[in-house]
Amino acid sequence: MTASANPLRAGLRLARVAEPSILVIFGGTGDLTTHKLMPAIYDLARQRLLPAAFGVVGIGRADLSDAEYRAQARDAVAHNSRSRPIDEEVWRSFSERLFYVSVRSEDGYDDLRRRLAQFDAQLGTAGGRLFYLATPPAAYAPIVRALGRHDVARNGDGWARIVVEKPFGRDLESARALTHTVHEVFREDELFRIDHYLGKETVQNILVLRFANAIFEPIWSRQYVDHVQITVAESVGVDDRAEYYDSAGAMRDVVQNHLLQLLTLVAMEPPASFEAEAVRDEKVKVLRAMRPIGRDEIEARTVRGQYDAGYIEGATVQGYRQLREIAPESRTETFVALKLFVDNWRWEGIPFYLRTGKRMPKRATEIAIQFRAVPHHLFSAEAREGLDPNTLVLRIQPEEGISLRFGAKVPVQGIRIRSVAMDFVYGASFLVDAPDAYETLVVDALRGDGTLFTRQDEVEEQWKLVDPILAAWRESDGEAPRYPAGTWGPTEADLFIGRDGRRWRQP
Amino acid sequence: MSAVDERVWGQPCAGVAALERELARMRRGRTAQAREQVATVARAAVVNIVVVARREIHAQRASHTVEQLARRHPSRTVVVLGDPHPDPRAAPEVSLYARLPSLDEFDQDHFEQVLVRAHGAAEDRLASVVTPLLVPDLPLFLWWTETPPIGARHFEELVSQAHRLVVDSADFARPEETIPAVASVCFVGAQHCALTDLNWARLTAWRELLTQFFDVPAWRELLPRVDGVRVSFAVDADGREIHPSQALLLIGWLAARLGWRRVDHLAPSEAGGLLFAMERADGQRVRIRIRPRFEIGMTEGYVTGIRMEAPGDAGRTEFRIHRDGASRHASATVTRDGAVVSERILPLPRTDVTELLGEELSILASDRVYEEALAVLVTLA
Repeated sequence: MTASANPLRAGLRLARVAEPSILVIFGGTGDLTTHKLMPAIYDLARQRLLPAAFGVVGIGRADLSDAEYRAQARDAVAHNSRSRPIDEEVWRSFSERLFYVSVRSEDGYDDLRRRLAQFDAQLGTAGGRLFYLATPPAAYAPIVRALGRHDVARNGDGWARIVVEKPFGRDLESARALTHTVHEVFREDELFRIDHYLGKETVQNILVLRFANAIFEPIWSRQYVDHVQITVAESVGVDDRAEYYDSAGAMRDVVQNHLLQLLTLVAMEPPASFEAEAVRDEKVKVLRAMRPIGRDEIEARTVRGQYDAGYIEGATVQGYRQLREIAPESRTETFVALKLFVDNWRWEGIPFYLRTGKRMPKRATEIAIQFRAVPHHLFSAEAREGLDPNTLVLRIQPEEGISLRFGAKVPVQGIRIRSVAMDFVYGASFLVDAPDAYETLVVDALRGDGTLFTRQDEVEEQWKLVDPILAAWRESDGEAPRYPAGTWGPTEADLFIGRDGRRWRQP
Repeated sequence: MSAVDERVWGQPCAGVAALERELARMRRGRTAQAREQVATVARAAVVNIVVVARREIHAQRASHTVEQLARRHPSRTVVVLGDPHPDPRAAPEVSLYARLPSLDEFDQDHFEQVLVRAHGAAEDRLASVVTPLLVPDLPLFLWWTETPPIGARHFEELVSQAHRLVVDSADFARPEETIPAVASVCFVGAQHCALTDLNWARLTAWRELLTQFFDVPAWRELLPRVDGVRVSFAVDADGREIHPSQALLLIGWLAARLGWRRVDHLAPSEAGGLLFAMERADGQRVRIRIRPRFEIGMTEGYVTGIRMEAPGDAGRTEFRIHRDGASRHASATVTRDGAVVSERILPLPRTDVTELLGEELSILASDRVYEEALAVLVTLA
């Protein structure tokens, strides 16, 4: 039975209800659990968004008692929850449903199966189980196989789902292999690949802006759009996860998932409904329509970079190769710029410029739709000195909002035109209220709603686009151009867009 | 008759056109100031709010609430303040004041406030003043701070322009009669004005918690077998202030959702409570008891606890939510034959009017579930 069969649910504004279940976290003592997951689950409890029958089981290798695990989790929540200080009474009640199971060997899974059955009986959770893989990627496949082998995944009629953190594979082949392994135990509709960008309120707002307003969609095409710029800039380096980053690089870390997600949301056709399959079908169509970047186009359509020492907000920072964990000859890219085309009716010939980098001057994520200039200029060149073409900017961070730039007459005798920005800022009170992406995604997974998760074909199409670029870079002799920390990437990136007679925005 | 505080409101404006000029002048001043700081000033408004009050304290509270909400719901707010006891012999008089409060460091204009101060028997003139002050194309929320005067011309004139009427049935003397009467004013005519009862909004968290019990399949099976409900609500120490409207709305909601029908009319029980029975869809009786309880720290009329009982194969199950006045939490407990099966402590902070109204402002549609709960109350009255 589903929660919708509850007659009292009708009309409650809280339409999104998680079903009675146990959430099992592999990597229960790891960084992601400490920084994101546990605080998000506690915040859900605090907002009364967890089901009446619910439990959380942390899994790790360490030998911990429930009490010790609860104490660790409490620290994690106290430091990382978005609502501080911790609400002691809520925590106490919540932590009574928080358990720890140590799994170090095959036998550990048998023990886990018994403990889960016991929790089901004790908490009345009816066998709904959500497994969350918050471990290093190397552990994904062994865990899934063991869940299958030891019959842990399913409990009778209860549902079973699994959440897999990014990166989902490191290329097309490994992504397919991982999907294949997971499918041995879970169906595709039970597999939730997380890209936490999709949990962000403003990212979801892209769809609302486009499809709940009648005025934008008619001009959302090659007839009116000159080009699109998507930027994910970070001012931080790679300090806390240098080892992983050096094996991944900006392409796998940001482009393959976050940047391509943003691009598909901007470029997709209107889905017939806001349902998981309808939305994801349209997103996949965009990915399939993307013009691949062949070996001969690497120079013209890609730029990579690696940061050197420099300054961030006045402080000296080390260069990438100077970091202790990084080999001095590392060729890993910390900056990527791409010029992509979506070869379909709507977007033929319109470039999508994507860029991301570490150690940029500021943290900023934005999508800018740059419209064409007017076809014929009535006003003198002098009068339109301060006029830029219309731009619609969707800002995702830091200050979430939407801004539209248009020309207006300066109130003087005669005509002088200046660009003005009409800003919509999600107010401070909105920001406080906005749920963390992980809260949204955990509830969605508990409800079985996959709209904001990446489907198999989607992740494969992403890799199909990214793989050849990585291969070409790998095989080329050249090194990634360097850029000083605290700048907007290497000079090559400016030349790259400059060749098309355009320039990067300053977010 | 209290005077308008001119340190806050400045000088009165001579008419609507003068008031608009005054607001434009204030905006220009703000822009000039912003230009020095290279900031853009945007004027934003998503809603018109008209607050109608006869007591200054109500008007102040309401305008403070709207101001706090201004970043989330930028508005033009018109506060209409009349006299609590207008002197019928005094010449009616209406004066207008404008304010442009600065809310944040960006100096964005999220909020324009207009005060309409009416003296004497000026009610019939109010709509003619308020109408030209509304920003075109934006919905109108009409917030009536007292029991609405059913049948009065100025009330109906303003309601006819409103998209939503906001009232608080906590203050109604006979809520089971007044709420349906207000509803009937809202729902006549071509333009359907949605009705918000802040007292109903206060129940949202209670409804959520109660509903969560029955998301658990084993407990949901018991829902059609519920045969007893007890709701308690807060009263003051000597039990004089009896306001059962929240408790009644909660019962009305349960009955509407679960298909319970009236058997008797509401009958008073000891100490200001109510005791009656309803009939389930299968013809069995549900005993309902609403009783006042004194709890330190609870506002009179607020629900303090609810229990629902159902017989089952494994024994008698009781679902109970309790909140005591001193706490910001509620306990949600399930017991079987007296033994605790499940207990959760959840935050249930007292929601202030700002929060309730902020939620209501984000909704334009009418609340069908509320209307159905009201319909049950009408049959019980």
